[in-house]
Amino acid sequence: MGAVQLLGVQKFFGTMEVIKGIDLRVDDGELVVFVGPSGCGKSTLLRMIAGLEDVDGGEVLISGVEVSGLAPAKRGVAMVFQNYALYPHMSAYDNLAYGLRRSGMARADVDSRVRETAALLQITDLLPRRPKAMSGGQRQRVAIGRAIVRKPEVFLFDEPLSNLDAALRVEMRSQIARLHQELKATMIFVTHDQVEAMTLADRIVVLNSGRVEQVGTPREVYHNPANLFVASFIGSPAMNLLPITRGEDGSILLESGEQMIWPGGKIDGPPGRALTLGLRPDRLSLVGSDQGQISGTVHLAEHLGDETILHVQTAAGRALTLKCDGDAPARLGDLVQIGLDLTGACLFDPDGRRVQ
Amino acid sequence: MKKTSRIAPARVAQTLVYHAVMLAISAVFLLPFYWMAISAFKNNAEIFANPVLWFPDPIRLENLTALLTRDDFPFLRQFANSVFYALSVACAVCFSCSLAAYSFGCLRWRGRNLVFGLTVCALLLPGIVTFLPVYLGWTKLGLNGTYWPLIAPFFFGDAFFIFMLRQFFLGVPRELMDAARLDGASEFRIWWQIVLPQVRTPLIIVGLFAIVYTWNEFFGPLIYLQDRDEFPLSLGLFTFQAARAREWSISMTGALLTALPMVVLFLVTQRLFRQGLASSTLK
Repeated sequence: MGAVQLLGVQKFFGTMEVIKGIDLRVDDGELVVFVGPSGCGKSTLLRMIAGLEDVDGGEVLISGVEVSGLAPAKRGVAMVFQNYALYPHMSAYDNLAYGLRRSGMARADVDSRVRETAALLQITDLLPRRPKAMSGGQRQRVAIGRAIVRKPEVFLFDEPLSNLDAALRVEMRSQIARLHQELKATMIFVTHDQVEAMTLADRIVVLNSGRVEQVGTPREVYHNPANLFVASFIGSPAMNLLPITRGEDGSILLESGEQMIWPGGKIDGPPGRALTLGLRPDRLSLVGSDQGQISGTVHLAEHLGDETILHVQTAAGRALTLKCDGDAPARLGDLVQIGLDLTGACLFDPDGRRVQ
Repeated sequence: MKKTSRIAPARVAQTLVYHAVMLAISAVFLLPFYWMAISAFKNNAEIFANPVLWFPDPIRLENLTALLTRDDFPFLRQFANSVFYALSVACAVCFSCSLAAYSFGCLRWRGRNLVFGLTVCALLLPGIVTFLPVYLGWTKLGLNGTYWPLIAPFFFGDAFFIFMLRQFFLGVPRELMDAARLDGASEFRIWWQIVLPQVRTPLIIVGLFAIVYTWNEFFGPLIYLQDRDEFPLSLGLFTFQAARAREWSISMTGALLTALPMVVLFLVTQRLFRQGLASSTLK
């Protein structure tokens, strides 16, 4: 299996630079997930690695070999597409065999390889069927089979689970994780679904506007976001962001006038320094009257069974999200007091950089 | 309680008037065809009889025998020429136009939209404008009097069919082609093995349009062909009528047998024709 290395990779659509000089290394056997909002360039970057988009600047290396000028089939990559991209006029068997036949493999070898792959994915009974006679999940398994059968160095997944229903998505996610364990393959997975990213990835690459905002393990990206963008993008519900200023003694001054001590001691910088405090929803809690730092009105309560997500509007007009117990008593329109737990909180400067 | 549906009298009258008008218009269009069909089974006197004979009596099938055995109207030979001409053009159009449409609809290359725009502009150019230089070119090549000038240009595409097919090619998911590229297929193989099977119906429609167009084509054969044995039916029928102006019954039999294959083709494939016309205008 091969490592993938991107060195200053750029892509232009017309005069617009959509991939802005990305440097990244995906190690041999690693499963890396690209996440980011729509239009951030994650699928374009994946297609550049596959050779389906030209690289306008920089280099793409697979197993140490520069492949920017190579045709997609010569790069040792296989790709699974969002809409499966199975050839509709061919049976599942022919879909799996097509690439092997193109490579000039003998008929008997093609047959054994296809059947071996079908057995691995438990799709042997689907082999005679055409895609239109399969369910979404079956099609996706065949699409994964088409990628596996070629024994590529790198697997590329372009939002492969987006078209599946919730239950099937969970099943396919675990199947991909199992395949990664069994094949020990290098995999790059594009998704906008954070749950997929957090559960599958060895490392997550957060992309925004054609740049890499942060690369790290799911825990690193969640608990130590490099900047305001990552903090607000990763995590569902999103991190709460509150404007604060540094007090004379290095403490935190909230908009409400409440003062709090920063867990590490003092906030760096001069008094009056404007910062943004980031707090995950589970660090906010409902407290009794006169015990909270912030008060607000509940304007939405999402009861999810074991937990309740409360959306609260503060007196200063800020929207806060709280993750509470399933039996939290708050209801729509209630005036509530919110306590802040600064453990694991983040501070960002006005440019969005993490400072503490 | 049993419900009864009642249609308003005004609505019934409206429907009746609508159908009466449509039937009258249809009759106007069908009358010449009906006249041709009944004339094919009459002799000259019966054709011009007064009062008009709206149904041939007796049905003169000998017109058919006379048509197929005449030395000055090699009907079967010209029928075969028309079949060859129409099928060759249909194959040429399907091949060349689908290749061009694949390039315009599925591949990305610099200047693609400009070239496609210029191609569509060719639709606005009357054929007669380019006729003389093209004719001189074929004459220089010494291919006048053969089917080369009539068929070969279609191997280089036709603006209308390219435009029509491109609309369908745009609907083929790009991921299918990407998957084939990753599988190691060449662009030609992708066009042939992956994309064409997805646009089989539009391709048949284009082929049918080409057959109908070529079957009725008159000007090209008139200019390039000189030998009667090489004429397609459209030209053969015209030259026969010009030379034997009084033999109306044979002319009408020839006209009927010339029109009949296209009528049958239309009846068998009318769903595809309608689909093709709708897609070329609406997409």
